Amino acid sequence: MVEVMQSALAQVSSFPTLLVILFSAIYGILVGAIPGLTATMAVTLIVPLTFFLTDVQAIAAIVTTVTCSIFAGDIPGTLVRIPGTPASAAYAADGYALTQQGRYLEALKTSLTFSIVGGLLGTVVLIVAAPQLASVAAQFTSYEYFWLYVLGLTCAVIVSDESRLKGLFSLLLGLLLSAVGLATDYSEPRLTFGIDELINGVNFIPAMIGLFGLSEVLRLVIRSENKQTADSKYQEAQLAMNEVKVSIVTEAADCHGEWLRIWNRKFAILRSSSIGAIVGMLPGAGADIAAWISYAVSKRFSRQPELYGRGSIEGISDATGANNAALGGAWIPALVFGIPGDSVTAIALGILMMKNITPGPNIFDMSSNSAQAVLVMSIYITFILANLLLIPIGLAAIRASSMLVKIPTNILLPFIVLFSVIGSYALASSYVDIWIMVALGVLGFTLERFRFPLGPVVLGIIMGAPLEHRLLQCLSKSTNLQSFVGSQLSMALAGICFVLWVFPIASNAISHRARSRI
Amino acid sequence: MRIPILGLLLLWLVSSLGCSHPDYPSRPITIICPWAAGGGTDRVSRQMALLLERELGVPVNVINATGGKGVTGHNRGLSARPDGYTLTMITLELNMMHFSGLTDLTYRDCIPLVSLNEDYAALMVRMDSPWQSLNDLELDVGKNPQKFTASGTAAGGAWHLAVAGWLLAAGRQADDVVWIPSEGAGPSLQQLLSGGVDLVCCSLPEARSLLESNEIRALGVMSPQRALGFEAVPTFAEQGRNWSLGGWRALAVPVGTPPEIVDRLTNSLVKITTDKLSKDSFQQFMASQKFDSTTRAGADLNSFLAETDRKLGELLTSQAMQSVRVDRFSPMVYPNIVLGLMFITALAILVQKKPSSAISMQEQSTPILPNRTNFLFVILAAILYSLVAETVGFVIAAGTMLLALLWRLGVSLPYALLLVLLAIPITNTVFSTFLRVTLPQGWLGW
Repeated sequence: MVEVMQSALAQVSSFPTLLVILFSAIYGILVGAIPGLTATMAVTLIVPLTFFLTDVQAIAAIVTTVTCSIFAGDIPGTLVRIPGTPASAAYAADGYALTQQGRYLEALKTSLTFSIVGGLLGTVVLIVAAPQLASVAAQFTSYEYFWLYVLGLTCAVIVSDESRLKGLFSLLLGLLLSAVGLATDYSEPRLTFGIDELINGVNFIPAMIGLFGLSEVLRLVIRSENKQTADSKYQEAQLAMNEVKVSIVTEAADCHGEWLRIWNRKFAILRSSSIGAIVGMLPGAGADIAAWISYAVSKRFSRQPELYGRGSIEGISDATGANNAALGGAWIPALVFGIPGDSVTAIALGILMMKNITPGPNIFDMSSNSAQAVLVMSIYITFILANLLLIPIGLAAIRASSMLVKIPTNILLPFIVLFSVIGSYALASSYVDIWIMVALGVLGFTLERFRFPLGPVVLGIIMGAPLEHRLLQCLSKSTNLQSFVGSQLSMALAGICFVLWVFPIASNAISHRARSRI
Repeated sequence: MRIPILGLLLLWLVSSLGCSHPDYPSRPITIICPWAAGGGTDRVSRQMALLLERELGVPVNVINATGGKGVTGHNRGLSARPDGYTLTMITLELNMMHFSGLTDLTYRDCIPLVSLNEDYAALMVRMDSPWQSLNDLELDVGKNPQKFTASGTAAGGAWHLAVAGWLLAAGRQADDVVWIPSEGAGPSLQQLLSGGVDLVCCSLPEARSLLESNEIRALGVMSPQRALGFEAVPTFAEQGRNWSLGGWRALAVPVGTPPEIVDRLTNSLVKITTDKLSKDSFQQFMASQKFDSTTRAGADLNSFLAETDRKLGELLTSQAMQSVRVDRFSPMVYPNIVLGLMFITALAILVQKKPSSAISMQEQSTPILPNRTNFLFVILAAILYSLVAETVGFVIAAGTMLLALLWRLGVSLPYALLLVLLAIPITNTVFSTFLRVTLPQGWLGW
């Protein structure tokens, strides 16, 4: 054990490895902060480079890149309401609301602090619980997955503040959009209305950019009276913001405040990190869903649930902690069974195998000083190192990106359009994706006009395909509806969903009756 | 027609001005991978990109054009300009999709250069399963038709065909084992472990780590000889079942590519794939991933593709497979459920008179007049960009769009011009060079 630790430490702390980690961190921040480029893409792009690295360096590069890019996704989400990666979508509205109140530094620093704490706690879960927890995750059949997805979607509806019915409608709209084109299980496309370009369906990256980014641009340009005074109201707000900023800068500069913030939310951060690590561990779930579920749980237990969606620091901290904790969790099934928890670990797994390391339960055997044990140990160490490195690099990124807020709207908006266009094109180099982005921009604008929340639409698009796939798997396996709750695990998950559905309806009915009595 | 010629002329002009070589290859090459990042095909594509880059001396980028069960990527790669700058990683699905009516594209619509590997299907069961050999399984399936479930890929996918073909060869019905569709080998194997399915059909490298940790057992592999690296797994033929099916991967260019470019590429690829000695060679990479690395080129490859096509055609168009191909649940089941729920929700929203509507009324009555021209301007700018970018290239299209938007929103023209001149080249460099995302090249080549 001690020997393994020593040799892993020696390998990680060698100068070339540290250099690799530093570059990966900067690279991860950059890619994560560009809307349209996901953490998965960031890792895919460095795969060819890892051929030239040692195995420890290669893994260090991947771990650091992902850790940094998942945090960096919060930056554009907070400043211009375009989540840099899908994992930040759950709380983009909160971050942006804070930016409009001039509290963007507070929002971003909270993101950074809780990303780091979440990431570190996720690592602890990875280290302590990996072998034990992996056996639970392996119990999941398609029924449990089905209920888990339903649970995730239910959470998204519950957190929608305006009206739960509208949230549900938005979610269903997203699910419907996800059904366009070819599904996993069919060889014929549907809902394409004869348009060939729609066969591939609605990709969620351009959809997300359109719904959050372009719709905001449209909302701002339509309010400007003429082209000379582009949205004077918005600029007034910015001027007011500048005054507030000074006081926040001085306040946020001291470290003590951040420690206090963590201390105040010590139980919440434990909760959100555990949610993140557990969800991250389930193959196919990942950081995006972890953030949504943690956000919903956080709202439920919050003393100020009315702030969620309108700039809740609590919501941001819990969701951002969970998505970073999920990263550690995703490595658990990858290392134990060779089954990746998300697409990033899928790529990492390929690299591991290339370096002649075969994942399996015995990879955790720390008694022998084998290359495998050293590598696993160095994964732990790199996770910790990457999260610590995020402190200076993240702060620098926040400082640099805060310049964005000082740019006048009439210059900022055209650039948002430009990056929306490039971002939706970049993923699959497809022009159809640009059209989808524009169409969903208009849709997002319309939905906001009628006060429908946008978050559930994105979640619906992301979760639609796996949900349908699991539903059909269950349907083709089962002979009757009872098999949907055939095991204790699925029964428990279904039970939680049921309580979540019935509780709001019942409480509504009770409060109605109470009101009518008065 | 005139535009590509003009483009080529400009390209030639630019490249000769830059004193680079006028002959092929003189600019970045793209490999289109029809499958997702992180998968086996993607890994092979990226390794080939790396080796080609070293061999040809120009950057080689990989684009994952996924979706549509591989149709998207194949279609896009094989309908690209036949100038040798777009290669496609074609896979077994090219032999399958035209039989299921997904596309008209066949292996005849491309010039295959070199095939890179052949991975054969294998049947996996859990370690605690009672079946020790293929015979045990066949007997049990014979006694209990439609009782056992198998998974490995989408319905109608390669591994599904492998199972159906085996059942037919064993004298059973093609659907005597119920196929549970899944996204791929990884999720299926997880289902196998958790007891969700009884059998998984996938290639041996895909199941490598579970095989090596003795979690699962391979009953047989559907290859002519035992697979390299998995010598303990018997073939189907050894167990008396004359059936084989494997996936293959190959690099191809569109029909119409000049013969000298095809030769140049083929020679480079043959050199890469036969090199066993240098560090990080193709053979070493494939061995490290435990991928098979049987390569074919020229007439051998062509006849191999034709033979596979014929075999799969027979199977896919046979009466027995028709029953399998009819989906048990119509594609509209799920959309209809969602639509139904949407309808109910919409009704509930309409019925529920919310007091909050008063607030929104108030907000809408604020004196600011909606500026619809701006609204349409933004939308039109983005759409126009998507229509012309491929022809004129990123720099011109994006520069014009940005300039127009800045001007429209009231930025003074010289200032806007300065911003565009600064921002567009930087963006282009960051994306194309640093992030290796290929932006539209068009007239200027960048």
